[in-house]
Amino acid sequence: MRKRRVVGPTAWILGGSGLFIGAVAAWLVGQGNPGNMGLCIACFLRDITGFFVGGITNQGAVAYIRPEIIGIILGAMGAALVTREFRPRGGSAPLIRFVLGFIFMSGALIFLGCTVRAWLRLGGGDLTAIWGVLGIVAGVLLGIVALKRGFNLGRARAIARPVGWILPAFAVVLLVFALIATFGTKPEFATQTMEGAFATGDTPAAVFLKTDGEPSQVLKPEGGSRAEDGSIVAEDGSVAASAESVAAAKPQPGGKRAVLWVSLIAGLAIGVVAQRSRFCTIGGIRDAILVRRYDLLFGVIGLLIGSTIVNLLLGQYDLGFANQPVAHNDALGSFAAMTVATFAAMLLGGCPFRQVIMGSEGDSDSTTAVAGMLVGAGFMHWAGLASSAKGLAPNAWLAMGVMALVLVAVALFGARKTA
Amino acid sequence: MKELDVRGLSCPMPLMHTKKALEDGTREMLVLADSGTAKANVVALLADAGFTVTVEDVGVEYRITAVRD
Repeated sequence: MRKRRVVGPTAWILGGSGLFIGAVAAWLVGQGNPGNMGLCIACFLRDITGFFVGGITNQGAVAYIRPEIIGIILGAMGAALVTREFRPRGGSAPLIRFVLGFIFMSGALIFLGCTVRAWLRLGGGDLTAIWGVLGIVAGVLLGIVALKRGFNLGRARAIARPVGWILPAFAVVLLVFALIATFGTKPEFATQTMEGAFATGDTPAAVFLKTDGEPSQVLKPEGGSRAEDGSIVAEDGSVAASAESVAAAKPQPGGKRAVLWVSLIAGLAIGVVAQRSRFCTIGGIRDAILVRRYDLLFGVIGLLIGSTIVNLLLGQYDLGFANQPVAHNDALGSFAAMTVATFAAMLLGGCPFRQVIMGSEGDSDSTTAVAGMLVGAGFMHWAGLASSAKGLAPNAWLAMGVMALVLVAVALFGARKTA
Repeated sequence: MKELDVRGLSCPMPLMHTKKALEDGTREMLVLADSGTAKANVVALLADAGFTVTVEDVGVEYRITAVRD
């Protein structure tokens, strides 16, 4: 075989796309999104779950329809329609893809971020993300072993056209609810984290709003108020949170957000760029090792550089391991969680970002994986398995062990010949 | 001409199959793909390997023809 070029012209398109997405994501943090969470597919899908079922799943702190997701879906759909790439297809082991999406989300919520946010955390100077990035590499390697053994979920086929429109239709439904909840009144059944809300580390947490840096309105416990000494007391006079814990309270992630239109337009732009470039946060490492093609790798390098530059410019860059926003410092836990999540994504054939983009192009199998992620998010919070800034939940390791077993079983039994 | 059908396959299988098909030094290939991503990846790989690539969109699939001297 003649010598093959290992970096082609698409490397520049992917590098530029990564740069753009990373820069926009870091800029969204400046616009109000949570720290190093300008864009996070796992976190944002989780927040959407919180809006609909947060009352049941105990997601009061993370409940908000992230307009970025709506924008990404509609932007990618538009780009696919214009370029005649919108093709309804499906039927490649949807049930297994649902389970893989579920497991991906579970791993991501133990790490505290998806494969996009792992790079964005690093781009914000959060060195604890290194363990997550190492986990991504480990997950890719496991996936490659499975692929080399012949792992394949089977071929997708053309399907009834309406089925390909499920994810775009879901985005429109989300947009309607987002507009109602933002500009009208929130529906009775829904949960939405109050904008700018702070929560203490107590169980149950006291939640309050701040005015001029001082706690003003107490949201939880209901009927609670702020005492002279700075503590928060419940209606019956018992102390709900000490003055120290009120002072140390952190913003609830769901309450940190850019203005709806800003998020929506940024999402639209990111959706178009991602659909056209095929940007993927795990495919770069995978292709480099598996087929010795390096173009896709330029995407994540661009993401890292773009987010680092904008974070530095906006004064958001904070290099270190301690006190990083929406992150914990459990090295082994982060590594294992991201290994599990990435292995699941490898078996799906692309990172969660890609699943959203492909679902927007009519790929109903990807839409099924996204559905698995949404359900997985609700489950992880309901079962108390999602991590917090304090670290892993008590049963997180048990959950990861079970998920790892399921992944190995899927990888072992999913080997078949297609060529 | 060597023919390869990567329709309906998830990433990175279209690339893996195409790379494998090139190993015997083939000079003419027809690859059938049905997603924009598979098409773009296969075209890029073939171009990197020195092929002149033409893509025909026949509605339900892309017919990717690659030739090199």
